[in-house]
Amino acid sequence: MSLVVDPAEAAAVAVSSVGAAPESEAVAWRHRHLLDVDRLSGAELELVMRTTDAMREVLARPIAKVPTLRGRQVTILFYEASTRTRVSFEVAAKNLSADVVNIAAASSSVSKGESLVDTVRTVEALGAQLLVMRHSVSGAPYLAAEVFGGSVLNGGDGWHAHPTQALLDLYTIRERLGGESQAARSRAGATTEGLLAGRKIVILGDLLHSRVARSNIWTLTASGADLWLCGPPTLLRGFEAWASRSSVAGRRFQVTTSVDEALRDADVVMALRIQRERMAEGLLPSLREYAARYGLTRERLALARPGALVMHPGPMNEGVEIAPDVAAGVQSVITDQVTNGVAVRMAVLYLLAGTQVPA
Amino acid sequence: MTRSPLDLEISRAWLVDLAVGHEGPGEIVVRGGVLEAVNWLEGAEARGIKPDGVVVAPGFIDLHTHLREPGNEDAETVATGLAAAAHGGFTTVCAMPNSEPALDEPGVLARIRAAALAAGSPVELLAYGAVTVGRAGEQLAALGELADAGVVGFSEDGAPIRSAPILRSALAYAGALGLPIVDHAEDASLTAGAEANDGFVATVLGLRGWPAAAEELAVARDLAVLVDVLRDVPGARLHLTHLSTASALDLIRRAKAAGLPVTCDVTPHHLALTDEWVAGARRWAWEASGDPWADGALVTGPYATALRVNPPLRAPADAAACLAALVDGTADAVATDHAPHSEVDKAVEFGLAANGISGLETALGVLLAAVDAGRLPLLRAIEALTTGPAAVIGGRLRRASAGLVEGAPADLVVFDRSESWTVTPDCLSSRGKNTPLLGMELRGRVLLTVAGGRLAYEAAEG
Ligand SMILES: [Zn+2]
Repeated sequence: MSLVVDPAEAAAVAVSSVGAAPESEAVAWRHRHLLDVDRLSGAELELVMRTTDAMREVLARPIAKVPTLRGRQVTILFYEASTRTRVSFEVAAKNLSADVVNIAAASSSVSKGESLVDTVRTVEALGAQLLVMRHSVSGAPYLAAEVFGGSVLNGGDGWHAHPTQALLDLYTIRERLGGESQAARSRAGATTEGLLAGRKIVILGDLLHSRVARSNIWTLTASGADLWLCGPPTLLRGFEAWASRSSVAGRRFQVTTSVDEALRDADVVMALRIQRERMAEGLLPSLREYAARYGLTRERLALARPGALVMHPGPMNEGVEIAPDVAAGVQSVITDQVTNGVAVRMAVLYLLAGTQVPA
Repeated sequence: MTRSPLDLEISRAWLVDLAVGHEGPGEIVVRGGVLEAVNWLEGAEARGIKPDGVVVAPGFIDLHTHLREPGNEDAETVATGLAAAAHGGFTTVCAMPNSEPALDEPGVLARIRAAALAAGSPVELLAYGAVTVGRAGEQLAALGELADAGVVGFSEDGAPIRSAPILRSALAYAGALGLPIVDHAEDASLTAGAEANDGFVATVLGLRGWPAAAEELAVARDLAVLVDVLRDVPGARLHLTHLSTASALDLIRRAKAAGLPVTCDVTPHHLALTDEWVAGARRWAWEASGDPWADGALVTGPYATALRVNPPLRAPADAAACLAALVDGTADAVATDHAPHSEVDKAVEFGLAANGISGLETALGVLLAAVDAGRLPLLRAIEALTTGPAAVIGGRLRRASAGLVEGAPADLVVFDRSESWTVTPDCLSSRGKNTPLLGMELRGRVLLTVAGGRLAYEAAEG
């Protein structure tokens, strides 16, 4: 297989990006894998954002398809059932003309005792060059990356990370709130640093079990947001320790159990899914009590700034962590998140493919 | 194969002998396997002999070794485990009884003794018996028969002693036999599913937290039960192994001050490594900040399964507490908790990996790193590997004392603090290559290990 990222096409994609920095100023993407967002710089985040801009333009075409990954095989290996995320990756890969192989390993391979290492080697032998992986054990994609010859894209691991979700959240917020600072941003250079300065963003709900929250902490603090984490004390365990470390490192965020304090004057409220298991685990009294005390209702949302954005990574339990009228209300950008998810995943697949040495 | 007794002369070395509480320049002579002379040098003869060169010390004693035979010979055998011990400078190891089947009756002890004999290693193999039948936590094992057969104590290690009533019976019964109960202090109700030390690193990495409270609770329970038993059985003795938290060590410090017959050990990895390593840092505990993300200390990827161990690697403050406890005597010994595992049990997701670090061959090097950093006196390090553990297991040692005893079969280790060696899978005698120190350079190469008057290990030239 020869060069798959067609330089002409890549350039076309880059050029179509509105206000893209000249080639010489652009930071190069140097990560073979995307396993976490903890080590991404503001410049690298901005590169993902601009590449996503370009992908949005592709999506706006009558035929939303480019030949960028033609002849490349993207394997989507999910050890956890998640139709939404799997389909989002699949659509993204197909829009780039990749050959897509889907493997739902959830129950079959694990129960048969085939190790992750064996599975990854098999997938590679079957031609995979980009491996999108979802796994219920934190850190599993790192093990895959150790043995896989191509690029691994973490589609969510345990409680740890969900890089593309954090990137699509950042993109969605940037699109809605970054407008007036767009000019300032291009003066400041291609970085997301300071992009969300002065913006209060709240992540509300089950932080403890949330890979979405963990990844968002890195990307939002790196972009200068005034980040607040809020939830019941049992579901905030450990985050105070993280917050106190991070203030030393200049990546500040606040932790509170008070919804009122968190939501007051917020620019963005991101509600997280609550799982029924939390009751059986003795972490919460009941869903009813959770909805009453921590659910994102219209009344609570009124504490935030007028027009504050409402987000949710999905799937939602409407009436529990978010009221149906809030989820479907004018402030909700939840469907934007889904659309942007495809564009961000196209961008990441494109950037990762660019790091691969042509065969 | 049986190695013959040896003749040996080491002149102009630094001798360390805690049995006489002394270190200094000296020379030793071994004839026909017997330590014929230990000469301490003074004045002009001693000139130029420093403690940072060749050191001669009594052979080390490990209170906590997993040999995996019978049952898991892919991970280790008695033969490879004893070879690893010799390579690490250990001349006595105390095997934990969590084999398959468990060492809960004298037959299993006879099996591993036969394996040691067949291996021909001069390293002394001692063993603990299980506390309960099959380590199931319900019915007392054959404690008396095991004592008659020569076990050095009783333990359920791999797991804590499950219930307070069983602990109470075991402490009383073993106490009357003159043997200690060795407990792995962990309140399992707080550690179900736990993956890494509860704290900053685990939170960032999304790993299920393993709280310090689980160890503290177990130690508190054990001490309360010990007090209860002592009223009737004054000979009851409790030893807590691989303590890893400041809070648990504080409980021991206070219990000792109150005169309770309790001892404890810490491992090299808990005093020198921290949970920062799980994130991808590779710096000693005394160099750690606790936040490797902030100060650029992440030199490799996270989730290396060689770091998965029970109890988990803790925060820098806990590691510092382990070292402080060793220095001030709260910890009586250093034990390796040598826990070899085969590749298949470690080449898996972090959360599914077997717990344990292969430690016999790196223990000395890790302790010497603390010595070199000025955190641990050499004399104390050697004490924690010789007379310290000897006091815990009492009179069951083959040798008369854990010192350099003239007229007795030579039992000693010679190492060179000025020489470094790199930890590689090939250089480890253990089948368990599961050490996070692979690729690292350690100071203090073992040159020679002599056990029971016979050569147990000799470094290749150069
Ligand atoms: Zn243990």
